[in-house]
Amino acid sequence: MSLRQRTVRRNLMEGALTAAFLAGSILLSGIAACEPAVVNAPPQPKDWSALASLPDWSGVWTPNMTDQERRIRTDPVPWDKAAAAQITKLEAAEKAGDPKGLFINCLPESMPSWMLITHNALEFLFTPGRVTILGESDGNRLRRIYTDGRHHPDDPDPTFHGHSVGHWEGDTLVVDTVGILPETYIAVSEAVGVPNNGDLHVIEHMHLDKPDVLRDDLEVIAPHVLTKPWKTSRFLFRQRGRKYDIVEGVCLQGNYSESKDADGNAAFVPVPQTEGGNYLPPNH
Amino acid sequence: MKRNWFRVALVLASLALALPVAAHHSFAMFDFSKTMTLKGTVTEFRWTNPHVALLVQLDAQPGAAPEVWSMELTSPGNLTRGGWTRHSFKPGDRIELVFNPLRDGKHGGAFDKATILETGQVISSDLRAAEKPGIE
Repeated sequence: MSLRQRTVRRNLMEGALTAAFLAGSILLSGIAACEPAVVNAPPQPKDWSALASLPDWSGVWTPNMTDQERRIRTDPVPWDKAAAAQITKLEAAEKAGDPKGLFINCLPESMPSWMLITHNALEFLFTPGRVTILGESDGNRLRRIYTDGRHHPDDPDPTFHGHSVGHWEGDTLVVDTVGILPETYIAVSEAVGVPNNGDLHVIEHMHLDKPDVLRDDLEVIAPHVLTKPWKTSRFLFRQRGRKYDIVEGVCLQGNYSESKDADGNAAFVPVPQTEGGNYLPPNH
Repeated sequence: MKRNWFRVALVLASLALALPVAAHHSFAMFDFSKTMTLKGTVTEFRWTNPHVALLVQLDAQPGAAPEVWSMELTSPGNLTRGGWTRHSFKPGDRIELVFNPLRDGKHGGAFDKATILETGQVISSDLRAAEKPGIE
């Protein structure tokens, strides 16, 4: 190959590389133009000041468990035929003292069961563009409710607590939640409930019913297990005593006792349990 | 007589409803119609979520070897609000224990209350007592 031929070939290759680079750049810039990066703007002093006009939901909130149980009877769940058959069996098993533990694997109670059957305290945090609900036991549950005007993603990754957006209507927080894992339960107790089986949608209206009583009106839309939307309410009591401060609660910790390993290190050692998740003594 | 039994059943049913209920599993495997009162020695007090556990070696019954039983309670957070701490019991404490046993006869139960025999202190837990606002 002559010097001229080599020069022509090198020029052709350089030209091809340049064209490929330009094409790639144009393509990437095209994608960027279609889907501009969304940035969460830093909150300004006015955004922090605006929080002061929201209702005061500070403190720690404990559930009215007696009312939870009463409302299962007064606001019966409109189970469809297949779900109702399963519920009847589960209720009979629980009544017979052989309950099926829906949550003994320590996976989250999820939405909406966390709001429906919890026996543990929770708290609300207001920050610009968001309301955060923090739970106590069973893994310190967490819900992020975006109040910055965003919409749900078109195809949210399913999660235990779903994707929540909210807005304020006066002193009422309206929350819309979708994107909940189909395997998670719609539960009426720790032993009675069925998986939602997909397309679950929860609408909540939360407001102070009394100065220290928070009311959550829930509408549960579960087309694969309910014949119509289930409307019910749950109530929480405000506590300000410091002994009510939320503490860490890791569900799986209960499967272990604090002991020593073979090297003398502090170590978690599994403890025996019944099939239903109850503790048993060693050498039972 | 029948009426008396009915009344007893009603009282037991209301007591069962008032008992603390666990967070992540049902307590239906405990027989709340049966209450056992036995003396023993604390061997371990597990201050863990989601359920605190109290292990007690019950005093030997006539003709039987001493047995360790495991008592289940609600969470450390809920017990703290009832005045408990992780030091409420310690190994070696002699106690009189009142509990509802597992229905299947295994050596487990739902804790009701206990008296520390050395001091006479009674320790109990009632989660339903927190069903009102503004508790100090």
